[in-house]
Amino acid sequence: MSAVDERDGRAHRADSPTLYERSRPGRRACALPASDVPATPLPAELARETLRLPELAQLDVVRHYTALAHRNFGVDSGFYPLGSCTMKYNPRLGEEVARLAGFAEAHPLADAEHVQPLLGVMLDLQRWLAELAGLSAVSLQPAAGAHGELTALLMMRAYHADRGEGARNRVLIPDSAHGTNPASTTMAGMIAVEIPSDPRGNVDLGALRAACDERVAGLMITNPNTLGLFEEQIEAVVETVHRHGGLVYGDGANMNALAGVVRPGDLGIDLMHFNLHKTFATPHGGGGPGSGPVAARSDLADYLPGPVVARSGEVGAGVLALVEPRRSIGRMCAFHGNFGMLLRAWAYLRVLGGDGLRRMAEHAVLNANYLLARLRGRFPVPYDRSCMHELVCEGRIEGSDVRALDICKRLLDHGIHPPTNYFPLIVHEALMIEPTETESRETLDAFLAALGAICDEAVRSPERLREAPHTTPVGRLDEVRAARHPVLVDAAVGGGGGTGAR
Amino acid sequence: MTAIKPAPAARAQPVPMACAQDERKQSALVGFVLNPIAGMGGRVGLKGTDGVVEEARARGARPVSPERAARCLAALAQALAASPAKPTPRWLVAGGAMGADALRAHRLGPFEVVHQPPPEPTREDTLQTVRRFVERSVALVLFCGGDGTARDVCSITGTAVPIIGIPAGVKMYSGVFGVSPTRTAALVAEYLAGSIGLADAEVLDLDEDAYRAGRWEARLFHAARTPFEPSLTQRAKVMSDARSDAEVTAAIAADVRETVQAAPDTLLLLGAGTTVRAVAEGLGVEHTLLGVDAVLAGRVVGRDLDADRLAALLERHPRCLLVLSPIGAQGFVLGRGNAQLAPEIVARIGRGGLVVVATPAKLARTRCLRIDTGDPALDAALVGDGFLEVRVGYHRRRMVRVE
Repeated sequence: MSAVDERDGRAHRADSPTLYERSRPGRRACALPASDVPATPLPAELARETLRLPELAQLDVVRHYTALAHRNFGVDSGFYPLGSCTMKYNPRLGEEVARLAGFAEAHPLADAEHVQPLLGVMLDLQRWLAELAGLSAVSLQPAAGAHGELTALLMMRAYHADRGEGARNRVLIPDSAHGTNPASTTMAGMIAVEIPSDPRGNVDLGALRAACDERVAGLMITNPNTLGLFEEQIEAVVETVHRHGGLVYGDGANMNALAGVVRPGDLGIDLMHFNLHKTFATPHGGGGPGSGPVAARSDLADYLPGPVVARSGEVGAGVLALVEPRRSIGRMCAFHGNFGMLLRAWAYLRVLGGDGLRRMAEHAVLNANYLLARLRGRFPVPYDRSCMHELVCEGRIEGSDVRALDICKRLLDHGIHPPTNYFPLIVHEALMIEPTETESRETLDAFLAALGAICDEAVRSPERLREAPHTTPVGRLDEVRAARHPVLVDAAVGGGGGTGAR
Repeated sequence: MTAIKPAPAARAQPVPMACAQDERKQSALVGFVLNPIAGMGGRVGLKGTDGVVEEARARGARPVSPERAARCLAALAQALAASPAKPTPRWLVAGGAMGADALRAHRLGPFEVVHQPPPEPTREDTLQTVRRFVERSVALVLFCGGDGTARDVCSITGTAVPIIGIPAGVKMYSGVFGVSPTRTAALVAEYLAGSIGLADAEVLDLDEDAYRAGRWEARLFHAARTPFEPSLTQRAKVMSDARSDAEVTAAIAADVRETVQAAPDTLLLLGAGTTVRAVAEGLGVEHTLLGVDAVLAGRVVGRDLDADRLAALLERHPRCLLVLSPIGAQGFVLGRGNAQLAPEIVARIGRGGLVVVATPAKLARTRCLRIDTGDPALDAALVGDGFLEVRVGYHRRRMVRVE
């Protein structure tokens, strides 16, 4: 993390010429091997007169992409406290395991008998996740968190239909849930009913009771919720929904606070998803695809998407097979889910073990509470009690009218990725900060120092914040205008333009 | 090198999203009128200033609206300068204390006085000024006042000319006010920059004589068009929810249409207000903005019904759904502005027959919903356990506190 260097402005970094601008007639990046088959002309209707592609030397291409890569910001470059995203360090071990030839070169259509060790990894991961969930069965199919949500909702629907209760189509969602929950509900063909929070940031039990009737398919609950708070009345919440015949689904996005400490199944959760790319350190946020396995209690296990790995009685004891659960909702993903991510998560779990996972969660909660304790005096904290793995405060500074967005943009000048802002929606000017367990005390202190400097600056010279960032390749975008009135210009055709950058 | 033709989209021209309109807005004519006595009654307990300005002065009231307008205009000058689109509006104003003085003080650019009020201006001066604005085809009317002023302005502009109010009155139940003078400035700047669009809003006013006597009789007077921000506080939400008010109300209409189609022999009563009007449009039927209409099997079977005719209809069609939307910002679903929905009629429809609709933006301005049918026992039954389900989008409902 570097201090703000105003001289190190954006000028010399902003101009990275496009490949078309670097293009020079006749330049080539590689020589194609001589053809060893007879040349056949293209059919006339496929041929064309002109085609503008850039002509470049290999070095031009390498420098271009290296320059672009240097503009990137990831967990590997600096602190990334993006709330509810669990941007923790992704250990290199996971990459090594995923690149082992036996894993990387296996063909997804290979017969089960030829890939038994791979199925063994999947089975081991299924068991680990089932144990952490406190539930009996797991499918590794879903390819992302929201995909896991959709999977669980389709299972809910199938479960109710089988019991002759297909009319249950309402899904209760607290207003402190992730925004994907109502979207998944609509996608699953059901109706999302938003339940408000009470003044302590818990589900408002009165509103929950008012919404519960014979039409309820289930509740989607994120615990800890997006305020970073543990649901204090979780047992009453679960009991209320169960009493009305609904199922309770746990959104596992915030499992980094619970893994190895609390098993959602023990709280009465019937089915849930995990985000391997959050809790179990597989790369995400542009670094790789996600993975959202779903766990279910025993009487829901039959509805899991297949195939799942199981010991097969037919072929012989100890032989693993891919099987379809009896009443499966069907496939959610091609082949075996995002297998590369399963490998990385499995390696992470095996290295940490049960005790290590518990320490992971404890340190995640400790780091967040350390930040909360130090930030309490600086920023208003709307739901002020011990937080779990993340904290939410209001991005308002006494004596200044700067907004949460200005604070976030100025953090970029300090080499820090901004926290999630303006979410959850129930907090005014929300800043949602999730440090994760992999950050050191020094990093957290540097973050606090940066926020302290920004607070002082907000009073002294607020325009520095309103115009931030100053050191990034591109300055402040007018985001609303960029989204609504995009100016799209093709460099090949010429002309400047941008997307609303000043 | 493989010969792949770039997709046509890659050669796309700059996307012309309402660009022509934006250019017009950037140097748009904007009308500004300030009601210098608005808000004076509030500080001295008069619940309004209409007709009692002398008494307000006698009680020591001092003008509040010039100060509120000044805050808005100062913020507007900043916001216009900071806007990437650099809008440079030209102004039409009323003279002196009714606008020109404030505009001059804040150097908001060239302006032209279209009406010179006397030293003691009255309502008539507001009306005169806004008439001049409309004749000159202004793109927007910015006014400073309360519900009374909104009503006067809207009586001239209707829905033809967008209006927005700097909140400065004693009562501000209408949906045309920004939440504060500075937020009003931001809305004006964003509208002139072409970043936000327009939405329908309701202009309400209380009967001030009744109000001062302790009775609360809000009436819906007009529908207006006003610059609309999907969320009042959260820019990020504007990003993710980059939708117009019309899209949200269309989604609500689609949701209600689905319910109606599932019960074709059910009588549908449509209450007052702009959100319900959108539902009516979704059903393809005409709607009385300020009244209650009845629809059966897709056809209007009663227009602007009174209590007796409603009772007669319910006699013939006992299965009924009543579509209502909270009026203005005070959150009344029943009991304000819909007296024809008498207690016995609502009782017959029952809690299960209520279909409450509202946009999330309107709910953001509404602390809780209220029901006051005039029959306490019925109110208690309708309030139930303290929450009403409100339809806020297609297949989106929200449990909202009701008192």
